[in-house]
Amino acid sequence: MAVIEVTDLRKRYADLTVLDGVSFSVEEGEIFGILGPNGTGKTTTVECVEGLRRPDGGSIRVLGLDPVEDARRVREQIGVQLQQTQLPENIKVWEALDLYASFYAAPRDWRELLEEWGLADKRNARFGKLSGGQKQRLFIALALVGNPRVAFLDELTTGLDPQARRATWELIKQVRAGGVTVVLVSHFMDEVEELCDRVAVFNRGRVVAIDTPAGLAGGEHRMRFTVMTGEMTGVEGLPGVTGVSREGNRMVVTGTGDFATAVTAHLARHQVLVSDLRIDKRTLEDAFTALTGRSFD
Amino acid sequence: MMKLAFVETKLLTREPGALFSLLIPLFILVVFGSSIEPGDTVLLPMALAIAVGLVALYMLPTTLATYRERGILRRLSVTPVRPGNLLAVQLLLLLVLALAACGLLLAVAGTVLGARLPAGGLPAALVFILGTASMFAVGLLIAALAPNGRSANGIGVLLYFPMAYLAGLMQPVHLMPDMLIRIGEFTPLGAFAQSMREVWAGGAPSPLLLGVMAAYALAVSLAAAKFFRWE
Repeated sequence: MAVIEVTDLRKRYADLTVLDGVSFSVEEGEIFGILGPNGTGKTTTVECVEGLRRPDGGSIRVLGLDPVEDARRVREQIGVQLQQTQLPENIKVWEALDLYASFYAAPRDWRELLEEWGLADKRNARFGKLSGGQKQRLFIALALVGNPRVAFLDELTTGLDPQARRATWELIKQVRAGGVTVVLVSHFMDEVEELCDRVAVFNRGRVVAIDTPAGLAGGEHRMRFTVMTGEMTGVEGLPGVTGVSREGNRMVVTGTGDFATAVTAHLARHQVLVSDLRIDKRTLEDAFTALTGRSFD
Repeated sequence: MMKLAFVETKLLTREPGALFSLLIPLFILVVFGSSIEPGDTVLLPMALAIAVGLVALYMLPTTLATYRERGILRRLSVTPVRPGNLLAVQLLLLLVLALAACGLLLAVAGTVLGARLPAGGLPAALVFILGTASMFAVGLLIAALAPNGRSANGIGVLLYFPMAYLAGLMQPVHLMPDMLIRIGEFTPLGAFAQSMREVWAGGAPSPLLLGVMAAYALAVSLAAAKFFRWE
């Protein structure tokens, strides 16, 4: 079942078109990634879905409801971590959770969330005294305290050190395991590759592709090696090989499936000696560049 | 809603500014109070106007603009609670703070210093309500227009001093040029201070001053509502 359906979403600010016909749907229980460089409409899209902004055109259904018309019922069932929000400097961790829990008809027990998100020993700490990672964990806990069916997390690991990012990823997987659908806005490739079941790639206010991270990256691999002795012929016709290019004695062979085994067997049969053999996987980053015609960041 | 009010109250008590708004007028009252005659009618209305002015121009804009700057109002708009509730709670709390500051001044002045308390409670209450409403409206307009908490604070303080000067809160009124007094009567704080002096002197507040305050309260708060941004 689709928990979010966005069809032909449009939004303009003055004479700037921010969203130019965005469509996608999010299935129950998945982690859905919204990926793209800054300024491509990711956050605007999510803010429309959350009911923070009114779209100029198109339709949005969240759990079967319109986020503007049925705002209250939608907000009861979603949890949101917004980019660039803070809490009052002097509020204590437990007070913030207790307060936000009181906003919802059927909240979770915030004491459990304190434990789950490793904030139990910061229970009485004031927000202003928390580290970046602790603040981020508190924001995620606040997004979950209403016991939502869908959680929106916008750039949740920006500003965290690599270790804290890894730890946050593990926690997001736990959120999904708890049955919550997650919409993850990110401009980090590695984050999306690690976490998302499916990804919508945004560019210039449009969705240019929707697929699994592996599907987007494609099954294609690249084999590079230097020919030491012998003449290399007939590689093009091997099963799985999709391309061969040569620059002096440096070779690049691309292909899918088990093509690398076929290539090495072929080279051995023809007594071609190679060195510096490397096989790389095409990454989401390569796919992104191919899709949008621009490199990331 | 009750929990929101409770948490916001706790936050207010952790705010040093709240304590300042209570203590600065009290300090002024006590310092000058040592030299007043029993039955003085000048000092207490002055301290009361300072107290209301501080809450309205210092506490109110800073708090609200900071809440917007930190995205707290925006964060609330994605919960089932409307961010308007937070504004309502804040206004109510600051009103309570202004009342507490005034109550403290009245208590100290009435007992220890032997200053005169107004005979008519009703005119005094009317002046207090209109004066506070007009000053809070100005504070709200600053909160609406200021881009962030720090500039709201700056604008509030910057506006406070000329208003306090024109209202005769920085020097005795009889030492001021008539022209300035007249101008002062058409500022919200000036009308507030002047009508309180009238009440303290035993008379009725002049309808013109009440009208000035009511007009500010209405017009400025409408402007604040029009310009207010949630994010």
